[in-house]
Amino acid sequence: MKRDLMERLGKEWLLCDGGTGTILQSRGLKGGELPETWNLKRPEDIIDLHCGYLRAGCDIFNTNTFGANALKFPENLQEIVMAAVRLAQEARRRANREDAYIALDLGPTGKLLEPLGDLPFEKAVELFGEVVRYGSAAGADLVLIETMSDSYEAKAAVLAAKENCDLPVCITVTFDEKGKLLTGGSVDSTVALLEGLHVDALGVNCGLGPDQMIPIVKRLTEVCSVPIIVNPNAGLPRTEGGRTVFNVGPEEFSLRMEEIAAMGVHVVGGCCGTTPEHIRMTAERVKKLPFKEPVKKCRTVVTSFSQCVEIGGTPVIIGERINPTGKKKFKQALRDNDIEYILQEGLRQEDSGAHILDVNVGLPEIDEPAMMAAVVTKLQSVLALPLQIDTSDPAALERGMRLYNGKPIVNSVNGKKESIETVFPLVRKYGGVLVALVLDEEGIPSDADGRIRIARRIYEAADRYGVPREDILIDGLAMTISSDTRSALVTLETLRRVRDELHGHTILGVSNISFGLPRRAVINSYFLAMALQSGLSAAIMNPGNEEMMEAYRAYCALANLDPQCMRFIEAYAGTQDRKPAASASQALGTPPAAGSPAAAASGGTSAMGLAQSVERGMAESAAAAARVALTTTSPLELIDRELIPALDKVGKGFEAGTVFLPQLLMSAEAAKAAFDVVKESLQGQTQEVKGRIILATVKGDIHDIGKNIVKVMLENYGYEVLDLGKDVAPETIVDTALRENIRLVGLSALMTTTVVSMEQTIKLLHEKKPDTKTVVGGAVMTQEYADAIHADRYAKDAMATVHYAEEVFGKK
Amino acid sequence: MELRPDRKEIIRYLGYRGVTPDREMLKEIDLSVGELNAVVTPRFVYEKFDLTLEETEKGKERLCFAGIEVCSRDLSVNLQGCTGVYLMAVTLGPGPDLLVRRASIGRMSRAVVLQAAAAAMTETWCDIVNERIRKEAERDGLYTRPRYSPGYGDLPLSLQKEFSRILNMPKEIGVSLTDTLLMTPSKSVTALIGVSDRPGNCIIKRCAECASSADCMYADLSEA
Repeated sequence: MKRDLMERLGKEWLLCDGGTGTILQSRGLKGGELPETWNLKRPEDIIDLHCGYLRAGCDIFNTNTFGANALKFPENLQEIVMAAVRLAQEARRRANREDAYIALDLGPTGKLLEPLGDLPFEKAVELFGEVVRYGSAAGADLVLIETMSDSYEAKAAVLAAKENCDLPVCITVTFDEKGKLLTGGSVDSTVALLEGLHVDALGVNCGLGPDQMIPIVKRLTEVCSVPIIVNPNAGLPRTEGGRTVFNVGPEEFSLRMEEIAAMGVHVVGGCCGTTPEHIRMTAERVKKLPFKEPVKKCRTVVTSFSQCVEIGGTPVIIGERINPTGKKKFKQALRDNDIEYILQEGLRQEDSGAHILDVNVGLPEIDEPAMMAAVVTKLQSVLALPLQIDTSDPAALERGMRLYNGKPIVNSVNGKKESIETVFPLVRKYGGVLVALVLDEEGIPSDADGRIRIARRIYEAADRYGVPREDILIDGLAMTISSDTRSALVTLETLRRVRDELHGHTILGVSNISFGLPRRAVINSYFLAMALQSGLSAAIMNPGNEEMMEAYRAYCALANLDPQCMRFIEAYAGTQDRKPAASASQALGTPPAAGSPAAAASGGTSAMGLAQSVERGMAESAAAAARVALTTTSPLELIDRELIPALDKVGKGFEAGTVFLPQLLMSAEAAKAAFDVVKESLQGQTQEVKGRIILATVKGDIHDIGKNIVKVMLENYGYEVLDLGKDVAPETIVDTALRENIRLVGLSALMTTTVVSMEQTIKLLHEKKPDTKTVVGGAVMTQEYADAIHADRYAKDAMATVHYAEEVFGKK
Repeated sequence: MELRPDRKEIIRYLGYRGVTPDREMLKEIDLSVGELNAVVTPRFVYEKFDLTLEETEKGKERLCFAGIEVCSRDLSVNLQGCTGVYLMAVTLGPGPDLLVRRASIGRMSRAVVLQAAAAAMTETWCDIVNERIRKEAERDGLYTRPRYSPGYGDLPLSLQKEFSRILNMPKEIGVSLTDTLLMTPSKSVTALIGVSDRPGNCIIKRCAECASSADCMYADLSEA
């Protein structure tokens, strides 16, 4: 009777097989020929290959399906995969090794996933899922995902395996000699992601020989809690007479593998260049070594695709600003689908020193799951900070967790039965560090005893659902002291007791403590310091709040969490303490911080005029000048007499070749800063929009810098731009034009290969909405091209587009 | 490794057409190069293949290498007298794209400078790999020709697919193709470098050969 793989994995030595491609090449596989076609064309060679490894003593061997997916085999994928498993079964029979396990081998698709490339995440899941369905139906014993060098693709493959079969799922990824994935992930971040997805074993394969893998394996043994697999190449490849050969022979390989196995690895084998002899000698040596079972590491780790934040050491700051609560502008941005506004909020917090960003996009009147998906993926295309997915909508939570590239924080679960039953299964499936609020059906306990009781209950629920305890962050709940002056003490006691009695980590939305009081920053910063001293692991707060950041940095320096006070010095060297003697204005209101550019610019009488600031592209000075000018001039007058003429002057200079693109854009940014000030003063009044214009980079094209330049200029001249982004299908553009009744559409394409989609878009637009004009631009675009695809106008640069817009909408 | 691009090239990419930018802009350029150097992960892959030139029935020349056949007048001229060809692919990795996208949120002026600097740095990286190939060829007693990329002249862009397959670009350097043959990450280059046992013209002509250099904002006026 064959023993279950799960009874042996991590309990005793198991051997994987070795190289496939290199062996098939030696049997005549030509360069460019797909190895999987041999499952049908040369089945005996595949059986022989397997038999070689089985007789050498491997326990787990791969089906010949590394490159099998619907992109490469659109016609006969099922036949290829089913045949691969059948050949493996036949080999097992012939070699008399019925105890060996057939691993359905999944390799990368060869495509990069969105947003870096053009393969949508769900499409990748579907591609892998199809292979898993065929392979498991045919009788594979496990799924082995290998040679992954992108964490996002790895996640897609693991989800596909888990969603399409009940087999054990193992995965090995490929790091470079610096221990990085091609898309930037480290050993730590990759392990956190994959353990979060509950793979049954993980490790490394390919890319490197055993020697180069040693530092990576060492790190794996330090952070990994599940069994570790190590399948190196036979050293490094070199070309010899047009053939790829590897430089480590069986004897040397087995010696190195013995060394690697002794480091605390559980499954060993080989990859490119290794042969049955490599595996045979390795098995012989390794199986004599004492076996060490995997040890739980109990680390609390949050990751993005490249960054890793460990919770439990130095306290971390979670930026709270991506949240509509109490923010009029943010709510409007959500209603307008103005994702750029939200991204800016994210970038600002990263610059201010946040380690993780909370993402809350909940608003009753919007499609929250769709918005969560859009914001999470867009944020991950511009910054590498890990995210905290914050929502009470289970559908939005699942969308966010599924599409997130990394292991997020999930905000939140609480002690209520319904919450536990909804949130824990998602965390179990996708992985995540979970914020647990200590409240339940009875409300918020007024004392620490009650809160600790709920915390214990949540830990027990985690055990039931198979979520590791270290992945729970207890939120001690900060309630304002303005309604109950004991509340801060209750919260602090809760923090202390979670740390000391439950040995857990804590999190807190710090600023709630001062709700309803004046000078909230004072209360908040002192409370933050007290909470940190009581063991707070993560503070949800506004990293733009100077007082709180000061308290945080000072605490870290004082608590010996800032070696040589370097981070404190870096933040504050050259700055001064606030003056104790307050001037009249300081005592009254909220002055700009001393030494800030705003203070310098608004205070100085020698500040530059508005027109000059715009012409010279100085945003801060333009905003300050606009503020001063508005005290004497009406907003509209300021726009017509100063801003627009200054912009025109720069625009003319650009066209004459005396002003260059970066300067044109800097002026545009300065003008925008001034416009923003003017807009504030117009609050309540409706603003005139000269016209609404769609901009898009066409389907298939992922270069959008040109389109973004045009957008900046059009907005400057008073047009509202509906920016549909890049890689936009003709239908999306035309539907938007119809729905919003748009008179002008601007299209950008960079390559000759994508001008075709531009032509299709124009054709469809002419059919469905003939009164809409089109203007086209992009690197390969010319007048002739534009004429050939029936565009109304070719614009050679951003200013030319502005002029055409003035023509279409009539210059006022 | 730190890439030190030619500042003049960056300025040219920014469309300055021979004008020297002011000091602020020069500072911005240097800052961008520094920021990019902190995020680039330069990688390369290349392989040498035998090359044969055949005459087709229609009197055109057909180039055969690495198991593929290419008909291109322009590439034939470039590879005249060559017996071998190197296929190379290089990339700066996903870092620069992230920086440019990031700057595009509200700071387009930064985005265009980063974009130009990253483009110049890609060329610098190409030059370094090219030099490595030149030295390797020299050891074999061969001379290299100027590198030539798919999409130049009449050499079809569809050759990108062959490059990707032959060099195994997704796995080796993390570069993959979109359905429309764009490379991702975008700061990546593929090129062919011919080798011959005779020394030949190794001067890389750029703008001088291009018909649209007269009104191109990127034209290199120093060549004229």
